[in-house]
Amino acid sequence: MGPDEILARLGVTEQWEVRGDGRWVYAPGMDVRAMARLMLEIEVRWVTLTVSPAAEGGFRLLYHWDLDGSLLTIAVSVPGTRAETVSDICPAADWAEREARDYYALEFAGRKGMPTLMLRPEDDPGLFSRTSELGRHEDPADSARLDGGGDAQ
Amino acid sequence: MSPVIPVGPYHPALEEPYKIELHCDGEAVRSADITVGFNFRAIEWLAERKNYTQDLALVERVCGICSNVHTLTFSRALEQLAGIDVPLRAQHIRVVVHEAERLHSHLLWAGIAAEVIGFQTLFMTCFSLREKVMDLLEAVSGNRVNYAMNKPGGVNRDIVDPAMVTATARHISAVMTRDLIPVFTTDRTVRARCAGVGVLTRQEALAWGALGPVARASGLPQDIRKSAPYEIYDRLDFEVPVRSEGDVLARIVVRALEIVESCRIIEQAVEGMPSGPIDAGDFLPVPAGEACARIEGPRGEAFYYVASDGSDVPVRVRIRTPTFQNMPTVALMVREQTLAGVPLIQASIDPCYSCTDR
Repeated sequence: MGPDEILARLGVTEQWEVRGDGRWVYAPGMDVRAMARLMLEIEVRWVTLTVSPAAEGGFRLLYHWDLDGSLLTIAVSVPGTRAETVSDICPAADWAEREARDYYALEFAGRKGMPTLMLRPEDDPGLFSRTSELGRHEDPADSARLDGGGDAQ
Repeated sequence: MSPVIPVGPYHPALEEPYKIELHCDGEAVRSADITVGFNFRAIEWLAERKNYTQDLALVERVCGICSNVHTLTFSRALEQLAGIDVPLRAQHIRVVVHEAERLHSHLLWAGIAAEVIGFQTLFMTCFSLREKVMDLLEAVSGNRVNYAMNKPGGVNRDIVDPAMVTATARHISAVMTRDLIPVFTTDRTVRARCAGVGVLTRQEALAWGALGPVARASGLPQDIRKSAPYEIYDRLDFEVPVRSEGDVLARIVVRALEIVESCRIIEQAVEGMPSGPIDAGDFLPVPAGEACARIEGPRGEAFYYVASDGSDVPVRVRIRTPTFQNMPTVALMVREQTLAGVPLIQASIDPCYSCTDR
């Protein structure tokens, strides 16, 4: 099955943008669970999930897949902090979803459990979101600042 | 209630810190839970606060074994963003170092596997051969671990002694073919410990997104050097070893054969190296946009996503390492295996927790 047929099967009307790093499509209304089912059925390999905070709020999710060497990137938007899981269909997505919660407190509906991956169990999710302004304008490794401005020994 | 045996995060059977909890019935493992994050350094977070030059040094520290993978993939993402064409000589040099790192990684792993199997002579042989590769990398880059070879648009150093590189590749290939591959594939000790042990089926490998030698040992012929060639790989003659058994032995055989193929690649890359520049000039400023890059590392595909707003600091860097995908498959491999087989099974994916935890 080719990339165009994949979009047709998923009911996506937008077209692929063909670029040097593969094909990209923004499919805001796409059913991500149907996408995962189709990809697994036709043996399109999971690459990963990239989550980024969106400028207008919420998150932008990029699902990356490998179709016989061609990288397919399917972008969807999540207005709040809740997306749908695909990990019950495509277990390869499990760690990427858990990591997204660790970093951005993004929850994935439909999961049986959502243990931390990189963080400790007692840590609050959303490490990157909580610290989004920290270190932006100064050296985060400045030991004097971390020591409260005291003399560094 | 079945006993739960925790192994790790710090344990003699593990190369690096992680934890595997084995739910056992006597000596048989029924299921396993894996915990990672003990090396977590928030490198993606750091990369979004440092400039591109600093990030190049930062991503090289994602891994102590496949450090070149990370600078290469990051550089390729920036080249995609900036529309930079890498000079042909630089592409040849990149491939030489990329494959030498694969040799280093696979030989290191083969030595550790031999040690876990209990075959000390084989361990010594693998590590003495690996030393030749380390010498090669040191001669080319000046460094034995973090080579600092890649930069967006090319490489930092030329290869000043191509004959030494070719001779080393030929020597490694000869020793592998004459000594190591026959031992790894036919020796009774190796076969007794590895054949039929820790099986990952093709369907499991696909569903769990397994990568690199782990996937290829389970019958998936995926290798983006072939399917999505980068640098000069589309001009080189090499095979991608694939096995269908899905067991520990298949993972050993795939890596052993890949060592020979990497030597072939290095020879071709050196012999066909054209004259010319080794970098395309300054890559800054990086224009606004987003790009992905992938390369086939020793453990499998490494993936980078970089988003730029046109400033000298990226707004988003995503790093997906091969062990991040392969590690969860260990829980499938150890099911219904003996407790004593677990150290070798988990080692058979050539895990890297430094990569995983980033």
